Amino acid sequence: MMKKTLKISTYLVVLVGVVAAVAMGAAEAAEFRLRAEAFTITMPDGEAVAMWGFVLDTDGDFATAEGAATSPGPVLEVPVGDTALTIVLKNNLTTPISLVIPGQIAAMSPVFSVDDQGRSRVRSFAHETAPGAEGTYTWDNFKAGTFLYQSGTHPAVQVQMGLYGAVIKNTAQFQAYSDAATLYNWQAVLVLSEVDPLLHAAVAADDYGPGKGMTSTVDYAPKYFLYNGDPDPQVMNIGASAAAVGNKILVRLLNAGLESRVPLLNGLYMKQLSEDGNLLPYPRQQYSLILTAGKTMDVMLEPKAAGVVSFHDRRGYASAGSAGAGQILLTEGAPPTSPGFVGGGGGGGGGCFISTLVD
Amino acid sequence: MNKAIAKRTARWSILVLMILTWVLPAQAAVQGVTGTQFNLVAREGHVSTPDGGSLYSWGYALEGGLMQFPGPTLIVNQGAAVTVTLKNELPQPAGNVSIVFPGHAVTATGGVAGAMTQEAPPDGATAVTYTFTASNPGTYTYYSGTRVDLQAEMGLVGAIIVRPSGFSHMNPTAYGHAGSAYHHEYLFVLGERDARIHQAVASGIYDIDTADYFPVYWFINGRCAPDTMLADGVPWLPHQPYGSMAHTRPGEKVLLRLIGGGRDLHPFHHHGNNSLIIARDGRLLESAPGAGPDLAMSDFTITVHPGGTVDAIFAWTGEKLGWDIYGTGPEHEHSCNGISVNDANPASEGFDPVTHEYCPDHGKPFPVFLPEGQDLTFGGQWSGSPFLGGADALPPGQGGMNPNSGYFFMWHSHNEKEMTNFDIFPGGLMTHVVIEPPGTPINGGH
Repeated sequence: MMKKTLKISTYLVVLVGVVAAVAMGAAEAAEFRLRAEAFTITMPDGEAVAMWGFVLDTDGDFATAEGAATSPGPVLEVPVGDTALTIVLKNNLTTPISLVIPGQIAAMSPVFSVDDQGRSRVRSFAHETAPGAEGTYTWDNFKAGTFLYQSGTHPAVQVQMGLYGAVIKNTAQFQAYSDAATLYNWQAVLVLSEVDPLLHAAVAADDYGPGKGMTSTVDYAPKYFLYNGDPDPQVMNIGASAAAVGNKILVRLLNAGLESRVPLLNGLYMKQLSEDGNLLPYPRQQYSLILTAGKTMDVMLEPKAAGVVSFHDRRGYASAGSAGAGQILLTEGAPPTSPGFVGGGGGGGGGCFISTLVD
Repeated sequence: MNKAIAKRTARWSILVLMILTWVLPAQAAVQGVTGTQFNLVAREGHVSTPDGGSLYSWGYALEGGLMQFPGPTLIVNQGAAVTVTLKNELPQPAGNVSIVFPGHAVTATGGVAGAMTQEAPPDGATAVTYTFTASNPGTYTYYSGTRVDLQAEMGLVGAIIVRPSGFSHMNPTAYGHAGSAYHHEYLFVLGERDARIHQAVASGIYDIDTADYFPVYWFINGRCAPDTMLADGVPWLPHQPYGSMAHTRPGEKVLLRLIGGGRDLHPFHHHGNNSLIIARDGRLLESAPGAGPDLAMSDFTITVHPGGTVDAIFAWTGEKLGWDIYGTGPEHEHSCNGISVNDANPASEGFDPVTHEYCPDHGKPFPVFLPEGQDLTFGGQWSGSPFLGGADALPPGQGGMNPNSGYFFMWHSHNEKEMTNFDIFPGGLMTHVVIEPPGTPINGGH
């Protein structure tokens, strides 16, 4: 037993050493450019709801259009070799915003307001980007894992309005964490969130704040429940092929909403690998998870047979007017021919993020 | 019965029953239906609440039986090929009904295709057949996989227990490993209900916004307190056959099988001692297959999330209370590790092998001056004595809920709003464990 453990340890040290050498050779900063904008989702019951979201600027020019903003924003994948992350933010909203990544260390410059009693109150956890302006947010030593990026300014309102998304980094190619057990063939990112239409309407009409029609979020009552921005997902194919029984599918689950959610898989166990971007000392075999507000969890699915497994929120949250009752199917069908965003529907876009195959 | 006779009877009973229990251990086991084939029917009925109300409900029934909330607890053996058939006798507008079995790889045939599984249409005839192999032991749940937000709320939820290979009622374990051994087991299906939804469905309104959810009743095994503490199968609760009152004796292991049967999280707070959480979702918390529950954790408030299950092992020890649970002085003669309570140095190390008394506290006097009877308001659970098995003088009609002079500890949701029945306290998600004196028979179970 002792000998075996030693051998495995040695193997791991060598492997990590190789990866580290490669990473050091290629080390540089990843940079993403995000535009924050308002957009509208049409919900399953026909109601049009004002949202805030992000869109990725791919040509280095914020003035050119790259399509509509989405909520969640684009999945940002920090390359394995990059130690630092920089996000350049263009604020096309009418209020100051910012970016924070809970779980990542950054030099924070909070912004304070003085209230009518002369008290200094924090308004933003990070330096703000004014409407129309560009701001730069940097994380010098970005840690591998699954994280939420979100507005750090008046988060009680701005996060609910849709200013959130997933940011991920592997420790090695197709490997989420330092443990070789986190090696995967496929990955999917699933961001859960909610919408309270009354809050969104008040914010969109500039009727939210002291002395206005809605003065706080205390009456928060979400009516729509989004899966990668889709308020009514029916089938979300994460593309484990029928021929790929034995494949390892990493699903990165993030809760950007305020309610505790229970992602539950019928027909298969999940191997929970991490929580809040931290590798668990031992993986947990569960078919359900308690994904509280702000939490991220990485789970591995290892299909045992071809077929369909169903996935739903056992808390029963379903968008008003939706038919799906929060059910998502993981259909083991043919894999998509090229990596990218698939699935989705409704008005949110986004869909389900698919990475590349190992083999 | 006067005090002296009561005491003599109690002592005589304890002696006889201690001898009996050595021969035939009386152990509480979860009530349910055993076998490999279960024919279920979705039916309607009414669930009673202790405030005199009733809630229109849907539930799973055994063919020929009444709708139950929760559905029949299915008890199967590891490795068994299990077949569950489902017919739907709900009213036509209720639509299709189905069953999902989280934790099991199920093959569904018959009926019509639904979003998650095959569904039974409300024609009372078409049967869906679900088959799976109960490959792993543990605690599981089943519920409707059709419009879960509404149908689970209406009552289409139940429990499954898979007994491990080689299971013995004499030396039971939950998972086969010695680390999951227990003396008594109890089921706790936790849940809650929004009365408005049940009223709407009863009135024929099926288009319900379940996001606007405001529960007013909270349940253990389909009953609200104090009905939780009634026996299994009492005739006046025909649709709610399962109680949840736990009984155990000092030092014995109680397996708690907890299931999240509703939509909300309930902090199940079990007084008396910590428990060891050994499994979640039917899987031992172990570092490697076969290691046993080496990743188990000690806890006193267990939150089992909706659809999930938790197995925990509780034992009441009385350790370090700082006083002798069997009393002191000549009128409470007893021994711990063979040393009389009236010995000059009564204390010793460890626990007594028979009475499970914590011997370092042996002979330490009860640190409270007991008030006179005329200064007390009695409850049915007070035996008249602070000492385990020590019945003492009570006014006529008192102590009837505690015939063996045990210790009562409340097990309840520590979200204390959930200890109400539509705004009336106490009630809701609450029951008790009774620590019975050694030798007290404990039969049946829940």
